[in-house]
Amino acid sequence: MLLSKRPENDRHSTKSKNMKEFVMIVRLAELPEVKFSPEDVEPLMNVWETWVDSIIAKNILVSRGNRLGADGRVIKNGILTTNGPYVETKEIIGGYLIIRANSIDEAAEIAKGAPLVGNGTIEVRSIFSDND
Amino acid sequence: MNEFVLIFRNDFQPEVKFSPDEMQAIMQQWQTWMGGMAAQGQLASSGNRLGGDGKTLRPGSVITNGPYAEIKEMISGYIIVNAATIDEAAEIAKGCPILHVGGNVEVRDIVPMG
Repeated sequence: MLLSKRPENDRHSTKSKNMKEFVMIVRLAELPEVKFSPEDVEPLMNVWETWVDSIIAKNILVSRGNRLGADGRVIKNGILTTNGPYVETKEIIGGYLIIRANSIDEAAEIAKGAPLVGNGTIEVRSIFSDND
Repeated sequence: MNEFVLIFRNDFQPEVKFSPDEMQAIMQQWQTWMGGMAAQGQLASSGNRLGGDGKTLRPGSVITNGPYAEIKEMISGYIIVNAATIDEAAEIAKGCPILHVGGNVEVRDIVPMG
């Protein structure tokens, strides 16, 4: 399988005037590559990509986003305070993607269909606009 | 060269706390910082600034209003930088203006996907 880092701006469809863009941030208690072996992670990623393909089929995917790795650094007050990802209570960010929807409520409904999140959470955020 | 995501967090949305003049000064700091990175080939993506509204989907398909803010901080935006290592990306992050207003920066590596 050819592995490559997906560019942030791989936009799959042209912008529609009335729709807005929303970022979905997936948080998990454990990242898959920490919890599973590489052989077990691959089919899970296929499950995820199948769901993303369904989003593309509806013509509402803006960006596949990125899956974030297990390494991390946290900078606060100008200095390095943590070696490791930022832990919000007991969850860390596993990845994100960007979709298009008519409203944030609609985006949240779409997020319900995401696989593999288990007991994790998905945060849906609008992309900042000066017109808000 | 590798790519790293820089995630910005703070316990408030700046446009709620700062006056328009202060916001302009802050925006200038960001433009200077991002422009400097772009000039040195360090900026892979200018990312996105996130709005103040949000919805959080929790286990059992429960949707709550508002951004994810379990510990009173929320994500205000992100960018993607080019760096040889995560430690180099962390050094770049030390220049972020959000650090001057009480915020913090998380640096994460990106997992290649097929």
